[in-house]
Amino acid sequence: MPNDPAAPVVPVAIGRWAVAAAPAQLRTLLGSCVGVALHDRAAKVGGLAHVVLPDSRGDVAHPGKYADTAIPALIADIERAIRGKAAGRLVAKLAGGASMFQTGPDPPSRNIGRMNQEAVEAILAALRIPILGRDLGGEGGRNMILDPATGRVWIRSPGGDGREI
Amino acid sequence: MIELTDVQRRMLRTVLGLGAEGASRALSRWLGMDVRLTLGEVEQVDLEAAAGALGPPESLVAACAMGLTGGLGGSMLLCFEDRAGLALADLLLRQPVGTSAEWGEVERSAAMETANIVGCAYLNALAAHLPAGADSGLAPTPPTFLHEFAGSLIEFAVMGQAAELDRVLLAGTTFEAAGAGDLGWTLLFVPDAPSLAALAAALDGSA
Repeated sequence: MPNDPAAPVVPVAIGRWAVAAAPAQLRTLLGSCVGVALHDRAAKVGGLAHVVLPDSRGDVAHPGKYADTAIPALIADIERAIRGKAAGRLVAKLAGGASMFQTGPDPPSRNIGRMNQEAVEAILAALRIPILGRDLGGEGGRNMILDPATGRVWIRSPGGDGREI
Repeated sequence: MIELTDVQRRMLRTVLGLGAEGASRALSRWLGMDVRLTLGEVEQVDLEAAAGALGPPESLVAACAMGLTGGLGGSMLLCFEDRAGLALADLLLRQPVGTSAEWGEVERSAAMETANIVGCAYLNALAAHLPAGADSGLAPTPPTFLHEFAGSLIEFAVMGQAAELDRVLLAGTTFEAAGAGDLGWTLLFVPDAPSLAALAAALDGSA
């Protein structure tokens, strides 16, 4: 788990994103949503987006909610933090996208986790941001922590031990 | 975008209150003690606020999740803090509260059976008071037991609304027992977006 448990923690709420520099850490709690951690190793700056749905379909009012608007918004904030272009500097780690229980005979939530995952991976590929680690799918929630000092990401499952991706 | 009017919210609250009354009667019979379900506010909130509906999002809760089938889609969650949920198992097993220390097979089974009884009674009472169309064949799916982060549970449960709405509705019900006060259990009724729209339209039509 994180080297410095006393480090300040920036919580990232559902449908939001945040950027932090060392020694702060970024944390979010995931179910079917996907957490997108982006890291600039040289600047020791990281960003974390909590993506709820794959496609904004033109909704500009809630950019943090959708993969296609949250990731560009996150990168823009990282560029502000590093005072420069992020192209070629960022790497990504992903977590979440679970399918926790059935909500009906044919619920829209059934494949949301998978759809979020696929959308995020496609957008990162288009932006040429390599994905260095994944902890995706399954049936349980995840607590995700990003350490901008190192780019390390820890995942904790309910009642389980932590693991690094 | 479905934003309930004040009138629709009041009518929905009345109907859900009847569901809670039906579930109170069934649960009292099941537990052999007088238990009352009290409906909280029925309002639409943003996703961030919804994430805290079961307490701090990182807290671990036990939950029995049921999907809705028939005239409405969505889910119902019967949630417990660990201590309160294990106390339920003790009540059902006729043993002193505090005897059950972890969620074993028997404790999970007790929680799921209780969820099934509460869910069926709630939906039966709801269906009896819903306008035609929304009431047809309304029933819960068999419960699934989960021991989860509260925030992750809520996130998944509201996904059927969040896919189409910016503000979500979850109707919370708390439980009180005569002489024991708040039992620390919560029942969440979370219709999906099409069902919320259907409910709103049906309630308008019955006004």
